[in-house]
Amino acid sequence: MSSPAFEGFLARLYVDSAFRARFLADPEGEARRAGLSCGDQAALRAIDRKGLELAAHSYEMKRRQTANGKRNGRR
Amino acid sequence: MDRVGLGWRPEIAAEIFARLDGIDVVEVIADDYFEAPSREIRALRTLAAQVPVVLHGVSLGLASTARADVRRLARMARLVDRVRPEFWSEHLAFVRGGGVEIGHLAAPPRTESTVDGAAANLDRARAVVGSAPLVENIATLIDPPGSDLDEGEWVRAILSASGADLLLDLHNLHANAVNFGFDARDFIRRLPEDRIGAVHLAGGKWIGRLLDDHLHDVPDEVYDLLERTAAHASRPLTVILERDGNYPPMEELIAQLDRARSALRAGRRARELARV
Repeated sequence: MSSPAFEGFLARLYVDSAFRARFLADPEGEARRAGLSCGDQAALRAIDRKGLELAAHSYEMKRRQTANGKRNGRR
Repeated sequence: MDRVGLGWRPEIAAEIFARLDGIDVVEVIADDYFEAPSREIRALRTLAAQVPVVLHGVSLGLASTARADVRRLARMARLVDRVRPEFWSEHLAFVRGGGVEIGHLAAPPRTESTVDGAAANLDRARAVVGSAPLVENIATLIDPPGSDLDEGEWVRAILSASGADLLLDLHNLHANAVNFGFDARDFIRRLPEDRIGAVHLAGGKWIGRLLDDHLHDVPDEVYDLLERTAAHASRPLTVILERDGNYPPMEELIAQLDRARSALRAGRRARELARV
């Protein structure tokens, strides 16, 4: 499992808070509307929700640091 | 011979220059220099004339089913050509997908398809840059969805499929082991002993899970893992201490390098005794 489409879905989950909220309310529905496979839908239904919120927040902090001109892209 | 060094950071550049006697190697973040003016590249070459320099990329996103962007690879190739580092490294991560930039390293699903994708991207990197990077295991706050391999299986599969060597980040390993309940020591034992080329050390903080933030001192557990890595690895190790802010006095950073040297010596002694 995994594909550019699945990775694209994950990237959007990590970055788009409104999309993430819709997803958490209906994971399989959002995955289905994105055209993902039944296997991908099942994987997303079982997503690590605590980790998702922590990761999304961490990524937002990193993007803000980059936007503020902080170098050292890696943390 | 094992060696120990620091991540190059402009905020502590003067202190690093003043303490090169205690620093064997310096790691430079490649992405900070892709668009740098010539004078900054010349400064890097001057640095490389005084201390071995290695380059560390953060934005190629090689561990992906998506094809690595040849323009980004070409950018790395130009920098490698201008700076002539001893080696370069990147991450087993994806950083973008579907036109969306995540802004940092994300763990892809650990599957055969991402193993194949990583191997193909590493082949492309080798072809464009002239050498493959060492590949670094990343920390993740989320258990990668869609995975059917554990992290150790996945990393070993990529090393086998790609021929690339490993930059073993011991705080990333420690954080993932704490957060997801596996044995970091066993992870190290299962690595091919001749494929570990470099090591990262760092610290982090607890945010509900352990975050690898590079803003805190290296914890005792990570020095223990360094000793075990030195007992296991058959090749010389380049060990880099990563610190991105909240800088202590340079003497404290040098002390952490010295503690790393002690851990390496202890590990190497254990390795020799085990072979007798």
